[in-house]
Amino acid sequence: MSSGIVGMMLGASLFLGGIALVAFLWGLKSGQFDDEEKFLNAVQFDNDEDYRSAVEAEKKKQKLRAKKQAKEKNYKPE
Amino acid sequence: MSEKKKIACDHCHLEFSEDVMIKDGDHYFCCNGCQGVFHLLSDEGLDSFYEKTKNVKLAPPTQQFEDSKNFDSPAFYDKFVKTDEEGFSRVALVIEGIHCSACVWLNEKALSKMEGVIEANINYTNNKATIVWDDDIVKLSQIVDMIRAIGYNAFPYDPSIQEERANKERKDYYLRMAVAIFATMNIMWVAVAQYAGYFTGIKQDMKTILNIAEWVLATPVLFYSGWIFFRGAYYGLKTKSINMDILVATGATLTYIYSIYITITQSGEAYFDSVSMIITFVLVGKFLEVLSKKSVADALDIMGKDIPNEVQVLKNGETVATKLSEVEVGDIVLVSSGQKALFDGEIVKGEGSFDESSLTGESEPIYKKIGDTVISATVSIDADVQVRVSKDFEHSTLAHLTNLLEESLNKKPRIQQLANKLSEYFSATILTLSVLTFIAWYFSGHSFDRSFMVAIAVIIIACPCALALATPVATLVGLGIAAKRGILFKEAAQLETMAKSDVLLLDKTGTLTQGKPQVVATKRFKEFDEDILASLTKLSNHPIAKGVFNSLELEDFKEVCFTSFKQHPAMGIEAHLGEHRYLGGNKKLLKYFGVDVDYESERSLFFFAVDNEVVTVFELEDVIKEDAKEAIDAIKKRGIEPVMLTGDHKNIAKKVADELGIERYYYELSPEHKAAFVEDMHKQKKIVVMVGDGVNDILALSQADIGIVMGSGSDIAIEVGDVVLLDDSLQSLVQSFKIASTTYRLIKENLLLSLIYNAITIPLAMAGYVIPLVAAISMSLSSLLVVGNSVRIKFSWKKG
Repeated sequence: MSSGIVGMMLGASLFLGGIALVAFLWGLKSGQFDDEEKFLNAVQFDNDEDYRSAVEAEKKKQKLRAKKQAKEKNYKPE
Repeated sequence: MSEKKKIACDHCHLEFSEDVMIKDGDHYFCCNGCQGVFHLLSDEGLDSFYEKTKNVKLAPPTQQFEDSKNFDSPAFYDKFVKTDEEGFSRVALVIEGIHCSACVWLNEKALSKMEGVIEANINYTNNKATIVWDDDIVKLSQIVDMIRAIGYNAFPYDPSIQEERANKERKDYYLRMAVAIFATMNIMWVAVAQYAGYFTGIKQDMKTILNIAEWVLATPVLFYSGWIFFRGAYYGLKTKSINMDILVATGATLTYIYSIYITITQSGEAYFDSVSMIITFVLVGKFLEVLSKKSVADALDIMGKDIPNEVQVLKNGETVATKLSEVEVGDIVLVSSGQKALFDGEIVKGEGSFDESSLTGESEPIYKKIGDTVISATVSIDADVQVRVSKDFEHSTLAHLTNLLEESLNKKPRIQQLANKLSEYFSATILTLSVLTFIAWYFSGHSFDRSFMVAIAVIIIACPCALALATPVATLVGLGIAAKRGILFKEAAQLETMAKSDVLLLDKTGTLTQGKPQVVATKRFKEFDEDILASLTKLSNHPIAKGVFNSLELEDFKEVCFTSFKQHPAMGIEAHLGEHRYLGGNKKLLKYFGVDVDYESERSLFFFAVDNEVVTVFELEDVIKEDAKEAIDAIKKRGIEPVMLTGDHKNIAKKVADELGIERYYYELSPEHKAAFVEDMHKQKKIVVMVGDGVNDILALSQADIGIVMGSGSDIAIEVGDVVLLDDSLQSLVQSFKIASTTYRLIKENLLLSLIYNAITIPLAMAGYVIPLVAAISMSLSSLLVVGNSVRIKFSWKKG
């Protein structure tokens, strides 16, 4: 086995592992592991409808945020 | 008619007979509340809630709600609502009435569907909700109305900044540990290949590839996970003390630089695995310490928690809700029964009893009438009074107490831990030794490479992994053993402090005694209906009446409804049933009604008279806890001196102290006196443990090296205390001393183990007999040794 192949294999596996680590860190940071009960219980109610409403909620949030920012800009004296 | 058919309500699923149910189409409801919620949910498209609950029984929604407009008051916003950086409002509420996970789902859904609500997040474990909304679109009162409309209720809750900060710190450690552990585990795999290559031969180019892979992995560990050590080292240097962080940081960095040099020049062995292992091990040890640390200021938050932000002030014959800071001297403030007095002043109207236990520790209520002074921080039991304010809030007794508490929490001495003391010397010694080793080797004619490698080996082998783990692992074992016995230590370091203590201060009421009067003797003059006495005493909140009620052995208690009932403050209760008049209370009450009684006792007396004839008398006394004597003896045997401090009178104090064999006791002490006593002890260089339960003990508890609180004690005391005895027993107190000293012994053993290990290996490393590779392996062995020793103790406790 040449050292190049070993290097490639190491690189590929570390890259994949790195993706998993980043995903885990993201989950940790965004508070998905904060409530262990939720972790277990919320799964029961996971369905399409909830998924849709989660997307809608996200949209609503962004809309409100944009509105707020626009408003704040208007407040500023030119 | 036989058994009526029972039908379940379509909302709450409680079953009732058909004829009381409200029929609404195909649905049946037990009350209007349930019907309302059911329709609301189907209108909102949230009726899939009922599929999710699967017939879990809910509480029917209550309908009498106080005005939710309170939630919109500026005072409320001031205290509970925070504005985040994006300009949205944020509040934390505790939601009442959550029974199952579907309830959480429903609340989150219903709230996030509301116009203007951005986020509604409810914790499944503690039912605390965080709600974020745009205050321009929707008001908090509307949000609360929604929660109430779907059958729940909400209370504000002040998420203390401290708690938030502690969580943040913990999360930070999680992130750093995740990176460190991930990288170290992968480095191990690579290292296996390298070690195999070391013994069986490996091509240089292959070695370089492996080195580079390790380099990539070790970099985030050193600079991201190890950031904590660099920070610690920086602060250490700033305060001119050599701490363990400096040793870890320099050791890891030097090894890292050396390994990079090896990788680039393609000569010798790289030790990236040691770098990441040192950081990971010590980081885990540090994390264990952080986990068991409590924040000091939490106690202050809880003190403020039950202080409302407004009081009712009487102005021109009208009551006006006024902010605390706006109340002026001379204003008339209303205090109703059950409320805490927030201002000091004089009663101008009304009378009743006050609970002054927060100042004196005694549960006996004090009767106050017009002209008497009310002290803030005391609680009205049955008094509805108007008080003329004599001091503004900032100068009130309550504010004074809070300030004192803050002061004494800051004054709390921190006994330096053995490991910290050791590690200072240790780190300095190791760093010097490794520099000396380098100099000695270099100047005795060896190459720079060789000398540097030996110096690195000294640092790696002395890496304080075992030392760093020695204390946290031992205390964790101690905490675990204690928690299983209902003893909660809030901070690991307290175990060590407690093991070193010399004096034990004990509060009397509630700690050595039961804290509430109990019937110790009864005398019956005539037969009577016990149900009537029970009903009579049940109506009163007075501790004496409660004591009498508890002493009655009622098998089949039927509560009697009196035709009229009256409380005579500081005397007793008068009740009428049909033509009979019943009196229950002390001698004063009987005298007041012209009943002659000839009965004397030192104890508190409760007479019961039917139609002006005394039928029975109870003698009540605060009884000493059963295990108190035994516990005091056991503590004396440990060489700790017990001292009793009480706010009670001399006679009672002497009696209790004599009975328990306590030689030193002090009586009629105010909360400040108790705290001063603790300070006195500190001046004599004594380590003080204080046991108490009440608000009057908090100053002393917070100032003592260790404050132990009974689990049934007041909230604030539990918050201030360092150790909580959940079962209130003094046996647990003895146990906690025992656990503390066992743990301390374990810490010493662990430290000794790691020091012996270092004493053997460091000279070998300095002599150049140990290559860094072997040093790295033996380093892990020493850590295992320490952990193994701690686990041994755990098992020996299980047997014993």
